Parts: sequence; structure tokens; C-alpha cells
Amino acid sequence: MANFILRKAEPKDVSDILRLIKELAKYEEMEDQVILTEKELLEDGFGEHPFYHCVVAEVPKEQQSSEGHTVVGFAMYYFTYDPWIGKLLYLEDFYVMKEYRGYGMGSEILKKLSHTAVKTRCSSMHFIVAEWNKPSIEFYKRRGASDLSSEEGWRLFKIDKQYLVKMSSEE
Amino acid sequence: MNYTVRDSTPGDCKDIMRLIVDLAEYEKMPNEVKLSHKELEADGFSSNPFFKCLVAEVPEEFKSKEGHTIVGYGFYFFTYCTWKGRVVYLEDLYVMPEFRGKGIGKALMSRIAQIGRAQGCVRMQFTVLDWNKPSLDFYSSQGALNLTAAEGWQLLRFEGEALEKLAQSAN
Repeated sequence: MANFILRKAEPKDVSDILRLIKELAKYEEMEDQVILTEKELLEDGFGEHPFYHCVVAEVPKEQQSSEGHTVVGFAMYYFTYDPWIGKLLYLEDFYVMKEYRGYGMGSEILKKLSHTAVKTRCSSMHFIVAEWNKPSIEFYKRRGASDLSSEEGWRLFKIDKQYLVKMSSEE
Repeated sequence: MNYTVRDSTPGDCKDIMRLIVDLAEYEKMPNEVKLSHKELEADGFSSNPFFKCLVAEVPEEFKSKEGHTIVGYGFYFFTYCTWKGRVVYLEDLYVMPEFRGKGIGKALMSRIAQIGRAQGCVRMQFTVLDWNKPSLDFYSSQGALNLTAAEGWQLLRFEGEALEKLAQSAN
């Protein structure tokens, strides 16, 4: 079995996208952290100024999953900017359902995204990976990715809503 | 000494570029800056901007030794977290050494937090080099959490030859 297509996500795909987001979060051992809703995904991805772009992998009906799904993988990305080199493509989420792995879907998705990056004149594709996720780190390194946290010392930080509110009111 | 924090205009790009190079020098990577102020202008001020930038400006009588009145900047754009929704990403934050200690950095950051909240952002995200103690301390004092340390996230990238190679193998 290797029949699948990659296509741009459409508004009708939001419930499948949310399902896959939750599956990936479960794999990353953080599924209770997903509070995003289908409504927000729809508004944020398919409005006038989308906050993200999404590609889905779909199999024919006869190869649907044990639960009857035909959308079996996805990648969510957006464009960011590096003041040193310009536009970048940032890969936010990338996932293929367990029963569909090993058929080259992940590779094809990554190739398609890197093609998009080059076509839109992005200098680089960036993404984060959890340091314990050895299979993914190996997958990326085999394809030429460099680990900037190890090589250059970059550390990722966040400031949550309550501190943002505090900071905005202190101005 | 008074200062104002305002939205940048296309005319500010030469100053912004100057400060980008200053920051790159501080981060010990000045040779990595390949962008020109013209590209910055095209990418930041078209109908579909790839970034936004605030500048901190002082009155003429307080200009720098070299005669500059634009003395700091905060460079940001919007990204997306599949678990929580909209995020404001702080790409660069910098104040010239002779203007530090007056609250300009905090003012730039607060305004970006305010803008982020107005856009419905749930979080601000950014990276910091692991040896940059003054910045690490400043961000911690504002409520920032080091996700690389706390959750093990590593920042990776595909660029140059590796990105081209990956793109060329797409169907």
C-alpha cells in the first residue's frame, strides 16, 4: 500500500487536522495541553490573513484507517523572518498516523514543504524537536538538518498570557 | 531622558539594519547578516508584510555619539501553536549600549505584548543564546520560561545546500 496524495488543506479538513494535532500531542506526552478548537482553527487558517498554512496526506476510501479516516497525515507551517537572511519557512507540526508510517509519506511531505520554501524564496526551514525524540532527530539529520541548540546555543523561551497581560499593563 | 516607542516606517529601514548588525555583533555572528535595508523595506512594508518592527527614538538633543536618534528596536511577527492558537514571536530586541538602563527594552517588549494581546495571542515566544546572561536574567524577571531547559525542545534547521537537495527530490 503506497497510494496517497498530498494537497493543500481546505476548511472541511479542520476536524481531521484537530484530530491529528491531538494524536501528535499524545505522542509528545502532552495531549492535555491542546485547548485549540475547530472554530479557532477555521478562523485562523482560512480567514483573510491566515496565521498558518496546512498540507494534508490523504488515502483512497479503500485504504481508510481502522476508524474510517482518509486524512492520515498533516504538516502545518507559516512564514517567519530572520533579520539576517530574510524569509524563513517554519514547520510547526508534522505527523503521520502510526498505521501509515514506513510508506514514504513523511518524506514526501517534507520534500513538498522544502520545495515550497525554495519557491517562495525562503533561506531556510526551521522547526523544533524534543531532545528525547531520537527517531525524529535522526530522520531530520539524515536529510541534512542541523541542530542549532547544540551547535550555536539557542534556547527557546516563552512568556505566557498572565505575564503578557502584566507586561502590557505596566507600560 | 525621554524617548518614544513607535511603529517603524519604510524610512527607518537603514537605522533598523544598522541596529540588526549591532545586535549580530553582540551575538558574535556579524558575518551572518546578508540582508540589505532594501530587502527589509520590501519584506516589511508591502501589502503582505512578513514582519513588524517597533523603534525607540530619542529627541535630537539626546542623540548618540554618532548622531543617531533611533536607538532601539523590537522586531516581531505572528506564529501559531497547534495546542493553544495565536502566538506573537519576538525575533529581535535590542537597545544601543549607551541607552540602556532607562527602561527602553522593557517599553519595547511591553508594547509588543500589548499588540500581541490585542490580536488574541496566548503567548510570546523567542530564543536566547545560552551564554547571554544579561538577557536571560532580564527575560526571567519578566516571567519567561526556558522551554529548552524545562521541556527539552531543540531548535533545528534545513538551509542552503541541504534545503535545495531536499526540494529537488520533491515530485
